Amino acid sequence: MIANTNILSEDKVKESILLRPVSIEVKDVTVSFPTPKGEYIAVKNIDLEIRKGEIISLIGHSGCGKSTLMSTISGMVKPSKGEVIVNGKKVTGAGPDRGIVFQNYSLLPWLTVYENIYEAVDSCIKGISTDEKHAIVEENLAMVNLTPHQDKLPKQLSGGMKQRVAIARAFAINPSVLLLDEPFGALDALTKGSMHVELLKLWNLDNRNKTIIMVTHDIEEAIFLSDRIVVLNNGPAATIKEIEIVGLPRPRNKKDIVNLPEYKSIRERLLNLLVEKFSIEDDGVKFEE
Amino acid sequence: MDKSNQQLGAATLKVVTYRTGRFLYFLLGMSFMLIIWHVASLSTDGELPGPIQTFSVFYDLVSHPFYDNGPNDKGIGNQLLSSLERVTKGFIIGSVIAIPLGLIMGSSTLGMNLLNPMVQVLRPVSPLAWFPIGLVAFQSAQTSTVFVIIITSLWPTLINTAFGVSTIPQDHKNVAKAFGFSTFKYITKVLLPFTLPHIITGLRLSVGIAWMVIVAAEMLSGGVGIGFFVWDSWNALSLEKVFSAILIIGLVGFVLDKTFKSLQTRYSYDS
Repeated sequence: MIANTNILSEDKVKESILLRPVSIEVKDVTVSFPTPKGEYIAVKNIDLEIRKGEIISLIGHSGCGKSTLMSTISGMVKPSKGEVIVNGKKVTGAGPDRGIVFQNYSLLPWLTVYENIYEAVDSCIKGISTDEKHAIVEENLAMVNLTPHQDKLPKQLSGGMKQRVAIARAFAINPSVLLLDEPFGALDALTKGSMHVELLKLWNLDNRNKTIIMVTHDIEEAIFLSDRIVVLNNGPAATIKEIEIVGLPRPRNKKDIVNLPEYKSIRERLLNLLVEKFSIEDDGVKFEE
Repeated sequence: MDKSNQQLGAATLKVVTYRTGRFLYFLLGMSFMLIIWHVASLSTDGELPGPIQTFSVFYDLVSHPFYDNGPNDKGIGNQLLSSLERVTKGFIIGSVIAIPLGLIMGSSTLGMNLLNPMVQVLRPVSPLAWFPIGLVAFQSAQTSTVFVIIITSLWPTLINTAFGVSTIPQDHKNVAKAFGFSTFKYITKVLLPFTLPHIITGLRLSVGIAWMVIVAAEMLSGGVGIGFFVWDSWNALSLEKVFSAILIIGLVGFVLDKTFKSLQTRYSYDS
């Protein structure tokens, strides 16, 4: 069953990644916010180079600044030091080359599913006719199987459907970089699983050309989807603790990969990186066996 | 089929029972009030007119609402229409001023800092205090009345609009930012749809207060109008007419409020 899958060695993966052009460069980025109690440093001295077509997960404990780092790449937050370069250009604000899927879907509640996507397309894609814009919206709705629901308002949709609209909206503007901020956090396990497959399907349809960065706190999700997993230290002033390379071959099948030794060892390493904090805190707690 | 019909029948019955119930409570409350009124009237030996005398006068008034016997004797319908006209004029002008100002106040800190102190000081002032200013400015009691209604309609709309704009959720703003909405698109697709329910709430409050203020303003201004009618009836010592007018003012106010309430329901949304 899994005899044919050849696990790529870490060096091989690195090599194949390095062949691709650079998509995103995060150069010595520090982000801090002024608070009444003084300056709060969210992330500190982050250096990261992401290649075109890579899927990267940012993982870490709540409040470790992974979303902040993501917002810096999207241009919604300005770094207080350092710079982010996307496709060779310095990021100074949000731009149509980066599609964002927000944590809480962020659909406009007074617009229908169709209109939510259309307004994004209308703003981001210049120089094409209205008919072409409508065609793009229809195509993207069909890709996430939402055509029958196109005239519904967001409140009439389930969480999974809302997230599909948000993903379709991000894909519709055809960005070279896709930024997903805990996109599946609010979904139940089954819906989450099918959304993973759907996301990969969309990525494959586009010949794996889009760079995807995803913030998550779900280890299985990160391993299943990513080429590399960036583990952040606990904030404040979070730094990169480790970058794990996921050498699992694609296409991946959820049922099969969990049995691979490579999967288990990555999972083990990630758990160790993330969970040691708790084992220290739990020292004084007595468990009843 | 049969079962669903039955269920539908049961549901309809429930609604009908609910409505009948509400109507019965309404009748009960009304009769209670009429009895108290009647007793109060008896205890003053009829100096305070009771419901029966009042309703016969009320009937006379509403059966010939539009007669016109010169400037000082017009039907109740004419009085009412002329008050409604002033309220409409004042309310529309007031809203046209208040909504854009509210949008500016809500969307810019500078606007808020500049306008808010002024609003907070002027808002508690009875709009009637502006009547003399209106007289000087416009040299006309009628225009002054409209001016008073303009001032009345400003504050609730202004404050609610500003509140609406300033509470646009960051999520919605982020969408606009992330997908590069133009200012025009931001205003038409984010700001206005979010603020509209707040604006309508402001308008509903404004029209309610305007309808209260018009009565007092017309007592000052004289001429034709429901407020002047009340004052005139008092001078003619016809408390029956005063009571009838109170009833009519109440009913019109109720209808105005219902109208804006239905607008509110129409333009509200749940996220």
